[in-house]
Amino acid sequence: MNPRMKRVVKAEEGEVYDIELDAEILEANRRIAEENRSLLRRYNVTAIDVMGSTGTGKTTLIAGMIRLLKGRYRIAVMKGDLTTTIDAEAISRYDVDVVPINTGKECHLDANLVRKALRTLKLEDLDLIFIENVGNLICPAEFPLGSEKRVVVVSVTEGPYMIVKHPFIFMDADVIVINKIDLAEAMGVEVDKLRMDAETINPRAKVVQTNCRSGEGVGEVVKALGLM
Amino acid sequence: MHEYSMTTMIVDAVLEEARRHDAEKVLEVELVIGEFTFLNPEQVEFWYKVLSERDSILKGSKVRIELRRGYIRCPKCGYEGKLMYRDDTAYHLMVPTLLCPECKGIAEIITGRECTIKRIRLLGRGHESSAKG
Repeated sequence: MNPRMKRVVKAEEGEVYDIELDAEILEANRRIAEENRSLLRRYNVTAIDVMGSTGTGKTTLIAGMIRLLKGRYRIAVMKGDLTTTIDAEAISRYDVDVVPINTGKECHLDANLVRKALRTLKLEDLDLIFIENVGNLICPAEFPLGSEKRVVVVSVTEGPYMIVKHPFIFMDADVIVINKIDLAEAMGVEVDKLRMDAETINPRAKVVQTNCRSGEGVGEVVKALGLM
Repeated sequence: MHEYSMTTMIVDAVLEEARRHDAEKVLEVELVIGEFTFLNPEQVEFWYKVLSERDSILKGSKVRIELRRGYIRCPKCGYEGKLMYRDDTAYHLMVPTLLCPECKGIAEIITGRECTIKRIRLLGRGHESSAKG
């Protein structure tokens, strides 16, 4: 019996009565996230959730990490996108299993979609799963998936205010990646200021500066995640 | 941001409860929304209005939203309270920080992430129909 189920109150005709429901709508997602977490632990698989806006370099970062970690870990990738499988195909070139998750219209992955995706993988043959969330800096923060660590990627091409404009997703991050530092000068963005914003909002997170296209800094991200 | 899908879940949960009680009507729904969720109460109200019109049990019901303040706790010194905001003169805005205002340790969010259906007010049906339940 669900402990949330309160006693049934019988009504008189036309009587108005209140039901104390206390039903937490986000709880269902959190519960499934916990189930995902224990499933992954049972198979000794580490899952890393990679979040960030569209175009910040999430896929390029994941590809870079795969290049560094292949051979050391058996890796799979879950790739959330509204519709296409373009990124999923790009990742599959690295000869790792890729599960594209198309959310349709939803702006984030949720724990239930990840649970379904986990069923398509052979967990006993894996050590590490990168879960690339839908490009969005707001919603994914509300929906934990059951991952061990969360990475948020921001890049200088979105301008100097991305972190202070979206503080709450950065509070959940274990590692904050500031990408495309090679373009900072052209963009007129101070990387140090972005770093300070990140450190102010979440002093617990490790902040790493990268140029994921050249691979600069990707090794540091891997270290910050405790994978090397 | 995802008010539509959240409100759909709210409406489904309310309807399930109303049917379980064999209510004739839902009159009012009270929600609690936390400060640190990404839900805009006005948009939740808007979607509730749209979605409740589609169902005869829900039609005409009101939604009341209580905003719940978010709190943090510092595991180092035990501080419990509001999140500290740092005034950033470069941006002319307040930047929230997880730094503990007391000891500068690193605090954790303890409340403010809820989206709860606290209470619903139902109109009961007559004895004849409720007797079967």
